[in-house]
Amino acid sequence: MADKSTPMVYLEGLVKTRSQSESVFELHVPHFTVAPGQMVAIIGESGCGKSTLLDIIALVMAPTRVDRFLVAAGNGGPPADVAAHWATDAEGLLAALRRDSLGYVLQTGGLLPFLNVRRNICLSARIKGVALAAERVESLARRLGVVDCLERMPLSLSIGQRQRVAIVRALVHRPRLVLADEPTAAVDKGRARAIMDDMYALARDESVAVVVVSHDVDLVMDRADTVYTFTTDQLSEQLSRSLCRPLADNNR
Amino acid sequence: MSERTSPIRHIPALAASHLLHEWVMSLCLVVALAAVIAPLFVLLGLKYGTIQTLRERLVEDPIFREIRPTQTQVFSSQWFAELSSWPETGFITPTILPLSSVINVVQNDSGKTKLYDLVPTAPGDPLLLENDGIVPVDGEVVLTTEAALESGIGVGEELIVRVTRSQDGRKEAAESRLRVVAVLDQRAGSLARVYAPLSLVLDVEAYKEGYAAPARGWAGATPEPYLSFDGAVLLLPEPLPAITRTGLIINSGFGRIAELSAIQVRALLGFLPPQDFAAYDLFTPGSPVTISSLRAVDQKLRGRTRALLPYVRDLKVTAAGNTLQPLGLSINAEQAQLLKIPETPWGGYNGNLPECDRLLQALWPSAKGRALTEQTEHREVEVQAAGVGEVAFALHSAGTTSFERPVLPVELLGVLRTGKQRAITFEPDGQCFAMARGGYRGFRLYARSIDDVPVLYNKLRSQGIDVLAEVAAIERIHTLDQGLTRLFLLIALLGLFGGTAVLVASLYAAVERRRRDLGVLRLLGFARRHVFFFPMAQGLMLAVLGLLAGLGGYAVLAGVINQAFAKELAVGEAFCAMPWRYLPVFGFSTLILAVLASLTAAWRATNIDPAEVIREQ
Ligand SMILES: Nc1ncnc2c1ncn2[C@@H]1O[C@H](COP(=O)(O)OP(=O)(O)OP(=O)(O)O)[C@@H](O)[C@H]1O
Ligand SMILES: [Mg+2]
Repeated sequence: MADKSTPMVYLEGLVKTRSQSESVFELHVPHFTVAPGQMVAIIGESGCGKSTLLDIIALVMAPTRVDRFLVAAGNGGPPADVAAHWATDAEGLLAALRRDSLGYVLQTGGLLPFLNVRRNICLSARIKGVALAAERVESLARRLGVVDCLERMPLSLSIGQRQRVAIVRALVHRPRLVLADEPTAAVDKGRARAIMDDMYALARDESVAVVVVSHDVDLVMDRADTVYTFTTDQLSEQLSRSLCRPLADNNR
Repeated sequence: MSERTSPIRHIPALAASHLLHEWVMSLCLVVALAAVIAPLFVLLGLKYGTIQTLRERLVEDPIFREIRPTQTQVFSSQWFAELSSWPETGFITPTILPLSSVINVVQNDSGKTKLYDLVPTAPGDPLLLENDGIVPVDGEVVLTTEAALESGIGVGEELIVRVTRSQDGRKEAAESRLRVVAVLDQRAGSLARVYAPLSLVLDVEAYKEGYAAPARGWAGATPEPYLSFDGAVLLLPEPLPAITRTGLIINSGFGRIAELSAIQVRALLGFLPPQDFAAYDLFTPGSPVTISSLRAVDQKLRGRTRALLPYVRDLKVTAAGNTLQPLGLSINAEQAQLLKIPETPWGGYNGNLPECDRLLQALWPSAKGRALTEQTEHREVEVQAAGVGEVAFALHSAGTTSFERPVLPVELLGVLRTGKQRAITFEPDGQCFAMARGGYRGFRLYARSIDDVPVLYNKLRSQGIDVLAEVAAIERIHTLDQGLTRLFLLIALLGLFGGTAVLVASLYAAVERRRRDLGVLRLLGFARRHVFFFPMAQGLMLAVLGLLAGLGGYAVLAGVINQAFAKELAVGEAFCAMPWRYLPVFGFSTLILAVLASLTAAWRATNIDPAEVIREQ
């Protein structure tokens, strides 16, 4: 286990510019950290840049500019300098970091339709190259209530079941950070709460840090250790700027 | 950073799962590839099958090794000896005039005879040996299928053959019983033919010409040439009464008797008869005078003092470039005394052909003879006499004569006169003069291998012998092979483009369709270079499946084709037979093409930005 003081993710002075035809979107993140085992919630209205931030943390989107960007390496060694990796276009190293340290839950699950549930779950462990006991898959699946779906194809599952399977897949290979982008957006409120509860409980038990994106404040507020939110300014007709900051405790 | 095991090794399984998941699409693709590959296999198979079949037939069927003369022409025994010594010659046997080379075969059912070709054969005859036959020895024959079917006589049975000739207006026939030792395969030819040793063929020819074949019990003349003359001069001390004269030409074979003046006698015989002698010319206009006619007249004149001297008119020989018109005289002591001329060293005419030594003599006119004989040490003069065929022989000088023309035995002139109507041969060490047989007028020649055919063909042509050979057939197969290869390459090129295009399009489409999934794979930790192999693996798998399906399709099609042509094919032959050594080449190039075809899709796959696609539905 890495030292508690070394953050899982450490971001400083991040700027991401996304432009589409005329309109330009600028995301500014002055400071962002995720400590090991910590629950971080990112909330904000639609279009404020939550998914953008999460994809940057997930190492699939290159920051336009960043002062420091560190991600704890899986082997407990010194944290990987992601900013440098992006600068040198070390895509292979980023991919290695992704499969070693990260788990990702997409809004729509992101299961591969051509693999059955079990193979979907096992895939993350397989490509990480770690041995995976069948019991672990079964127990995780049982905890999330999808143990009966293991041999089924993803398309035959309900949206909620898919999300639960996605959560199992994101956790099964023992990553140290799980990223979830509105994992419950497609299900009703009650079910969303249940899924969220399960994920949190599991993350705690596995001592995995979680960064969850949601526009549903109620769903994440009381569970999160830290909450980040955005303030958006429409600077001009074309340019909009979004600033991401930790939510002051007095606002909670 | 852990690089325990590269995630790349999971790509093939994922790619396969994807193909399996979209199995309808994959199946269609495999079928499409098979539909390109199978015809190529079939085409290649057809090309090799037909060429192979044609070549094998060429190699197998001796007919393609045969070299046939286009015209009948006389070939000497030496020529045959020389030809058999050529390394390219596989087999050669002389043949005779086609018209003489026929035989009547008694049909089994009707008892009637039918005329079949009689073809000479000899040990090593490929036409027989390679068509289920064996080479017959004397007393045996081999039949073609047609001959056996028509005559109703099979292997082990007896074939009754008849040879017919008409002799002096009478029909004569000789018969032989021959054992059939083999019936040839249909391939050896569709005509009714009888293959027999050359000796039988020669005997048949001789019999037809009137000669005997004693070994077969066939009656006929001996091959000694008969004597023929233009007429005979009868010299008597006193004239014959008219009635006796007429009597001489009745039933003697002579047609006419005419009085001769002394000058006329000298023109015919070279000397003037004694004073007061009567001279008559006995002859038959338009016909030669034979020994029997002379004998008949001689009989009628018995008791009279006379000399009956046959003559040959206008016979020329050449010696050392000079044309000579010799006199034919054979005078015995009695005649010499009667006619007051010298006796000839070879004796008188007695109706027989003398021995060679006696026959080949000459008395040279004193002046001319010296000139001729001095050229040779042994006092021998080479002489050629033209006739049906030219004969050359050497004359011994027996002395000189006071006559102006060389004097030769009249029997020699009788032989040479016969030679003007019938071919005669002269063999110095053998039986002297003989009636020429029909002679070798052709040959049956087989080259050792098909590759020797052009060599032999050209050698014979350079000898001025016009021959036919299947040189063109070998050439044709070569041309066909080239044409088919070109056709195959052309179609292969088309197929190559088609198959590759199908693969390019579908692999690219699959990548486009599966953008999100590829993005998810990237998100899960696959690098760009890993997903690069996803379409490539799919391309290779589809190619392998397409190749297998193509092979299956080929097997079925080839089976159908070979079945359809089964009737034209011998056992072991196939019109459609792909040489398996081409399979690795085929497989390898298919895989290479599959890899090339997947490159665009692979490149597209690496360019997918996960952040862009993972939120797509
Ligand atoms: N591919 C893109 N190119 C350019 N701009 C983009 C692109 N995708 C998103 N944006 C812009 O970036 C901004 C942030 O988008 P993002 O997806 O991060 O918002 P979000 O907070 O996740 O919204 P939501 O709650 O609707 O998911 C938006 O204003 C959007 O218009
Ligand atoms: Mg979003």
